Order: sequence, then structure tokens, then C-alpha cells
Amino acid sequence: MKEVKVEVIGPEPPCMRCQAVKRVVERAAEKLKQSGIMVNIERANIMSKEVVQKYGILVSPALAINNTVKVMGRVPSSDEVEKLIREAAE
Amino acid sequence: MDEKTVRALRAGIILAFIIVVISLLIYSRIMAYSLAPQSKPVDLRGLPIWQIPIVYLIDYFSHGTICLLFAFTVAGLIYEFVPKEAITKYMGSGRVAGYGLALGMAPFLTVCSCTMVPLFGGVLYAGAGIGPAITFLLMAPAANILTILLTGEMISWEVAGVRIIASATVALVAGIIISKTPWGKAVEKEHQVANAAATAKIELVKPPLDERLWAALKFAGYLAKQILPFFILGLIAVSYVEAFLPEDIVGTYLTGVTGILIASVLGGPLYTPTLVEVVLGKAMWDLGMSKGALLSWLMGQPYDVANALAVSRIAKWKVVLTYMLIAWAGSVTFGLLYSFLSGSL
Repeated sequence: MKEVKVEVIGPEPPCMRCQAVKRVVERAAEKLKQSGIMVNIERANIMSKEVVQKYGILVSPALAINNTVKVMGRVPSSDEVEKLIREAAE
Repeated sequence: MDEKTVRALRAGIILAFIIVVISLLIYSRIMAYSLAPQSKPVDLRGLPIWQIPIVYLIDYFSHGTICLLFAFTVAGLIYEFVPKEAITKYMGSGRVAGYGLALGMAPFLTVCSCTMVPLFGGVLYAGAGIGPAITFLLMAPAANILTILLTGEMISWEVAGVRIIASATVALVAGIIISKTPWGKAVEKEHQVANAAATAKIELVKPPLDERLWAALKFAGYLAKQILPFFILGLIAVSYVEAFLPEDIVGTYLTGVTGILIASVLGGPLYTPTLVEVVLGKAMWDLGMSKGALLSWLMGQPYDVANALAVSRIAKWKVVLTYMLIAWAGSVTFGLLYSFLSGSL
């Protein structure tokens, strides 16, 4: 079983589009479970010192997979997220 | 059909739609077809109370739909295609670059309020300091793509242009002043992070063109869904203002120096949802408000209460009060200046 960490980065309380991103990731994670990839979904606060220190300025909503920001300022499709996570798992 | 053809076809269809929207606006321009509602206060006054908003809304949407469609589509496109990574990277790099980008990019990055306060926080933390962060914060709501397009189409492009210049100046001045105050510096020190963006990488993936175009339209739809309900409620309120606010009250209180003072005070705390301030401004302008007062009214947006509350969670109340005061003084100054220069005081 491979593990992939996915951070959904947005403001707290989460904005509508950040929630949309989280749902997309959850859907992709459900699918990936069947092919043996464990997805750990975390929520990160875009305005916390930790996130800024780690990634710099981001446009919300952003998505980081295994500590690399792959998507920002848009809501990706669940197929795209699935592909990105698969690439990270390899 | 292979995947490539399908993608090209999809991109083609979406592009065609976008071109149609843009040409509709150009066509209306060429034919001198007004995109602002045509009803005059007198027309509304004779109607039964429940009919006033209906007549006004029908009037508005029969004219304004093209404009709204255009504004939302363009906002969606710009937001999707603006190079976010490059901007965010340079925004935190230094003071001059920070100020420049805050002024230049705020209008394009912040059609959605949910990105504005986080970006303010980001700019502040990442080392550009409180000055550019404040500039960004003030510039964003005052001169974003949607409001400027609507101001231009509904009121006049002259007012829209003056609004951009005035907002930019005030935002810049407020940023510089606050970065010099002791309480501004205190907030800056508290929030600065040592070597930002040192540990992790940013490698944005670019989806194919058809998906980006589709995402742009989807975002346009999302914006419309967020804004339109408030916008329609606002229009209903505006219809009653047009119908019942007597011209002589507007003539007495919303012209000259008093007009500018009153309009600037009303513009802020009277929290109007995005875009409604444009329509309400137009209604009062029709009733006889002076140009300078109109500008002060429109510039009241950045110091509204909801915004201030969100910001005060990061910055201190002193900072918020200072920038509200500067923004207010700026709206009065530019209102007076504009009245004086256009000879309509």
C-alpha cells in the first residue's frame, strides 16, 4: 500500500471553492483506494505562518501533493487529481 | 475520433461562445444600444408598489444582460489565464515590486472575495511588508475587473477611468503611510516569516487548453451564482430609491461639498454588495447627484465594515482604522478634485 499526502490549502473557515476542491480530492481518493494507493487528505490554512513559510504566497484554493503545490487558484477535475496522485505514488 | 481532435473541437466550441459574447458587446457599442436601464424616476413613480421592482428588473435585464454576461465571462477568463505563479513569487520579493504588483495585479486576482484576505495575509507574511499588503487590500475591491466593466458600461468610462486612478493613488498612499506608522511596523514584525518558501516546491500543472477554457467559464458561472442573488436584491432596493427618493433631496444633499462628504460617509458603512454600488450610484446620479459625489460614493467600497472585520483578524485595529481613515480622506479629496476639474461642483 502506497501512501500519498494531499493538502487542500485555503482560508479558514474554508471558502466555497476550497470545499469543492476537497470534495474532488475525496472522490479521487475513493477511486485510488481500489488500486492500492492510500490518500491522506489534510486541510491547511493558507494564512498560517507554517503554510507561508513552506510554500510562500499562494492563491486559494491550492492543492499540494507530497509537499509540492500542483494546483492553485482553480478547482481541478477529479480525473486530473487522480492522475496527479498516481504520478506522485510512483 | 482520437482524444486530440475531441479536445481541439471542445476548445473551438468554447472559444466560439466567448467570441460571440465579446462581439455582442461590440455590436451593442456600434449600434449605440444602451446597456443601462432606461426607466426614469418619473416612469416608476406612477406604478403600484409591487410593480416597481418588476418593471425595473425587466428593464435592467433587457438591457444589462449582455453587459453582465460579458463582465462575468471576461472576469473568468482573466482569472484563469493570469500567470498566478509568477505574480505570487514576485509579490513577496521586495517593496517596490510588491507595491507595483499589488497595484497592477489586484484587479485581476481578486474577482472573488475569498482570495483577497488570504492574499493580503500572504503578502504580509512573505516579507513584502505591510505597505504592499495594504495597497493590495485597498486596490482589490475598488478596481476589480467586474466593477470597472460595470461602472464603465452603466455610468461612463470617464468615471470608471477616474475611479481606477483615484483608487490606485489612495491605495498607494495608504500603504506607504501605514508602513511608516509604529503600529504598522509592529504588525509587520509580528507576522514576518524567515526565508519564506524555502522548504517546499511549487510545480503547477497546466491542463490542456479546452479544460482551462471550460474552467474559466465554470468560474464565471460560479461568480455569477455568488453575486447575482445579492445583485438582484440590490436592484430591487435601487428601484425603490429611484421611485421614492425625491429629486430635491438629492439635489440639496448630494451635490457640492456637502454632497461629497455625505456620499463618502454613506459609501463605506452602508455595506453594499459588490456591483450594487454601481447601480445605486447610477440611480442617484439620474436623480441629480453630482459627479464628484458619485466618485466619492464609488470609492467608499474598500472601507466597508465587512472587509475591515476580516482584515482586523490579521492586522491590529489601529491599522484597520488608519487605512479606513486614509481611504475616506482619499475619497473626499478625489471627489472634490474631480468636481473641480470637471466643473460640476
